[in-house]
Amino acid sequence: MTAISSASAARPAAESAVPMPRGRRSTELAMLIFAVGVVLFAYASVGLGLNGKVPAGLLGYGLAFAVIVGIAHVAVRRWAPFADPLLLPLAAMLNGLGIVMIYRLQLSGRNGNPGNEISTLSSSATADQVLFSALGVGAFVAVLAFINDTRVLQRYTYILGLVGLILIAIPAIPGMPNSEVAGTGAKIQVGIGGFTIQPEQFGELALAVFFAGYLVAKRDVLALAGRRFLGIDLPRARDLGPVLIAWGVSLLVLFVESDIGTSALFFGLFVVMLYIATQRTSWLLIGVLLFVGGAWLSSKLIGHVGIRFDVWLHPFAGSNPTDNGYQTVQGLEGLGAGGILGTGLGHGQPFYTPLVQSDFIFTAFGEELGLTGLMALLLLFGLIVQRGMRAAMTVKDPFAKMLAGGLSLVIALQVFIIVGGVTNLIPLTGITTPFLSQGGSSLLATWALIAVLMRISDTARRPAPQPIQEEGMTQVVRAA
Amino acid sequence: MNRALKRLSLACLAMFVLLMINVNYVQGFESNSLAAKAGNVRTFNEQFTYQRGSIVATGDGGETPIAESVPVKNSDSTTTTFQRSYPDGPVYAPVTGYDSIFGATGTEAAYQSDLAGTAPGLTVHNLISLVTGKPKQGATVMLTISPKAQQAAYSALSNDGGHDAAAVAIDPSTGAILAMASVPSYDPNQLTTHNGAQLNQVDKQLLDDPSQPLLNRAINATYPPGSTFKIITSAAAFSTGQVANPQTTIAAPQPLQLPNGNLLNNDGDETCGNGQPQIIEAFWLSCDTAFAKLGINLGSSTLKSQAEKFGWNSSSLQIPMSVSPSEMPLLSDSSLTGMSAIGQYNDTATPLQEAMDAAAIANNGTLMKPYLLKEIQAPDLASIETTSPSVLSQAVSSQVASEIGQMMVQVTTNPAGTAYATANPSVAGVEIAGKTGTAQNGINNSGLNDAVFTCYAPYNNPKIAVGVMVQGGGFGADAAAPIAVKIIQAYLGVQQ
Repeated sequence: MTAISSASAARPAAESAVPMPRGRRSTELAMLIFAVGVVLFAYASVGLGLNGKVPAGLLGYGLAFAVIVGIAHVAVRRWAPFADPLLLPLAAMLNGLGIVMIYRLQLSGRNGNPGNEISTLSSSATADQVLFSALGVGAFVAVLAFINDTRVLQRYTYILGLVGLILIAIPAIPGMPNSEVAGTGAKIQVGIGGFTIQPEQFGELALAVFFAGYLVAKRDVLALAGRRFLGIDLPRARDLGPVLIAWGVSLLVLFVESDIGTSALFFGLFVVMLYIATQRTSWLLIGVLLFVGGAWLSSKLIGHVGIRFDVWLHPFAGSNPTDNGYQTVQGLEGLGAGGILGTGLGHGQPFYTPLVQSDFIFTAFGEELGLTGLMALLLLFGLIVQRGMRAAMTVKDPFAKMLAGGLSLVIALQVFIIVGGVTNLIPLTGITTPFLSQGGSSLLATWALIAVLMRISDTARRPAPQPIQEEGMTQVVRAA
Repeated sequence: MNRALKRLSLACLAMFVLLMINVNYVQGFESNSLAAKAGNVRTFNEQFTYQRGSIVATGDGGETPIAESVPVKNSDSTTTTFQRSYPDGPVYAPVTGYDSIFGATGTEAAYQSDLAGTAPGLTVHNLISLVTGKPKQGATVMLTISPKAQQAAYSALSNDGGHDAAAVAIDPSTGAILAMASVPSYDPNQLTTHNGAQLNQVDKQLLDDPSQPLLNRAINATYPPGSTFKIITSAAAFSTGQVANPQTTIAAPQPLQLPNGNLLNNDGDETCGNGQPQIIEAFWLSCDTAFAKLGINLGSSTLKSQAEKFGWNSSSLQIPMSVSPSEMPLLSDSSLTGMSAIGQYNDTATPLQEAMDAAAIANNGTLMKPYLLKEIQAPDLASIETTSPSVLSQAVSSQVASEIGQMMVQVTTNPAGTAYATANPSVAGVEIAGKTGTAQNGINNSGLNDAVFTCYAPYNNPKIAVGVMVQGGGFGADAAAPIAVKIIQAYLGVQQ
């Protein structure tokens, strides 16, 4: 497609005068201002709800937040002028609302007593979350600035695969200063200096790139060269081997680290990307069967998975409300207390739900903003996924297509797994809620993910380069 | 690849739709049932943050609060919570019950959602309050209780020698309950503390108390009705035509040899009149042999079906608190049927049932369903619910009712009547139609007699029907009738 065919020379001259597609950066700016406004309004509302007055830091924090997202906007104007105008405002609004909720939870303290600190929520939680947001936007800007074409990533397919595996495996390495995420039993954190990092959040991204790069390179052989077995086209072992091994190892490590939510995410991501690459529905069927079988088996064999299933099916039965199902029941009762319109920010009692600032932050929104607020939040997430998918469909490069589809799916699956878990639609598995949950690693990774999606959408929407010379003129090639 | 991506987008859409349906279900439909889950800490905390509705007694025309929520300063002395308060606690305890942090009883439990302001009927009012910024408030529950009758009943029962006793007064024409008192009582204010440990201690103390102060004897304890059951036996006799009218003579042997060979004596082994008295005379004298023989002739199933028309043997009555059934079992042994016809053997009745017996006679034979609730009012005084009186059953024809009324008034007006001394018109200041009961107890009647009195007044224009039972009180005329008289006087405003 890079060669200018003779047919193009016959195009009427008027078409070349079509104006350049607009980047829609002003739209983005307007929506960003709206998003910042909503966040500041929520922040003021928390103060009014808890103390009856507008928080003193409204102006300062408001300015800081506006500056952070403003930098992101300027970076987009500079490095991805044709990117989708919706993604940045969506990300900014979700991130801002997450900060507001963490601020609100930190203010009310344990069981609503401001004197008692929530053990899993330090007194600097809000300030930390703002700092992480700034770092996240930093990651966003860095991705846009340094990766000006996603095909750069394709070159490092295998390296990124290895890096991803290492990142995921770090907490499981004997001797690493790993720690459990408080109250979950998941050993996925490592302590560095005063901070704890969840390397798997970045490993996820690296592996998604690896899956995309590898599957794109091998998709023809995966789809065509193989044997037919029981009506299913099986690829050759040497084509599928490396990717299967990568996936298997990542799953194994996750089981060792007791992080079922993330392994479910990987499984879904892997199967779906395989499907996109090969277009063979049989992979989806195999995947679903494997997943249902695996879930059933582990519910029977692994004690705490069985407990999760029991709580899922009968949250209010027996001793569940006070014992194993305490968190789920508190979350559900919080949602129930919110009802249609919610109690209003600062008026509810979300602090009774354990880990409400991370895994269960969605139920805190449900309690205080009600069904109305949750529908809005789900729409925000849904829009991110939809804009990502749209970028995947419009971009021409197969690698970028795979990557955008995979990353959008990461967001969709993450939301489905955690929101479905805390609302008891599916068994609960701990995983961070993108942008909302407390935690820097997740924020950084998600901002980087959004940057990659915007880079791909910029590529997709960028107008084709203008021909260098007048059409119809004979090219004169001068010999040197 | 776009085909696969399109499918993937649809799959993602489906996931979000599933999440949305689920949160709609949880928050839209399950909200109330989640709030009602046992141990819901949010519901528990929230109940003290706004004013629960009051319970008021309206039987005398005014509005007397008998349960209300008052703001109290918290220990941090800046915030306030609402605590329940019962102005005349022990007097109204059988009516109000209590509302504690562990649970509620009585009216507090029966109208929990209205008092708490969560009833479906209050949704619109709550929404308006929310929009207009008014604080949330529960609905007011207005009861038919007459403070005068209730106070009189409680003080008369309390001054009756420390016996377990209860009294119920109802308006015969509607079934509205005017008084419902029970002793020994308790003070519901003891149970309103928000301190769980303290409440546990009080709760345990009340539960362990052998005198069972928490028991509402007016509707949840049963005692032998004794001779007051002769109202039912007479009703069966007139209704079946076995006895033509009050002037019909009936056999009254002294003693009566029962079919099993045992001898039944009248009280004091006295002959009943001339031995062949009119039924009206046997009634005012309360001759056991005459009515036992009549009952044997009528048969147990006739007596039972007549009793059931007065509301006996029913376990479904709710006022709205559940009322224990008054029992009159079907007997195959005719000797026991004779005992049952005079309210002995296995017959047992609640004080409410005793009042209902008299009320049916007073209301021309039509038994109205007893009820406590007059109206539920939203905080803006809009009516949410009102009770319209309903007929429970036609106990007897109006002809039979008037005949039994003639007999009952003789009990207090005829100088030979059993309650003449304690309830005659010059003592009571009003003409009362009543029937005494003195139920024998224990093996070989060794226990103290239970005293019973059932009546209505004024005889010519009935306004109130009363049932009083005093366990171990002695003679019905001496122990129970004066209590009924005091309740009637207080309610009708008769000075004596």
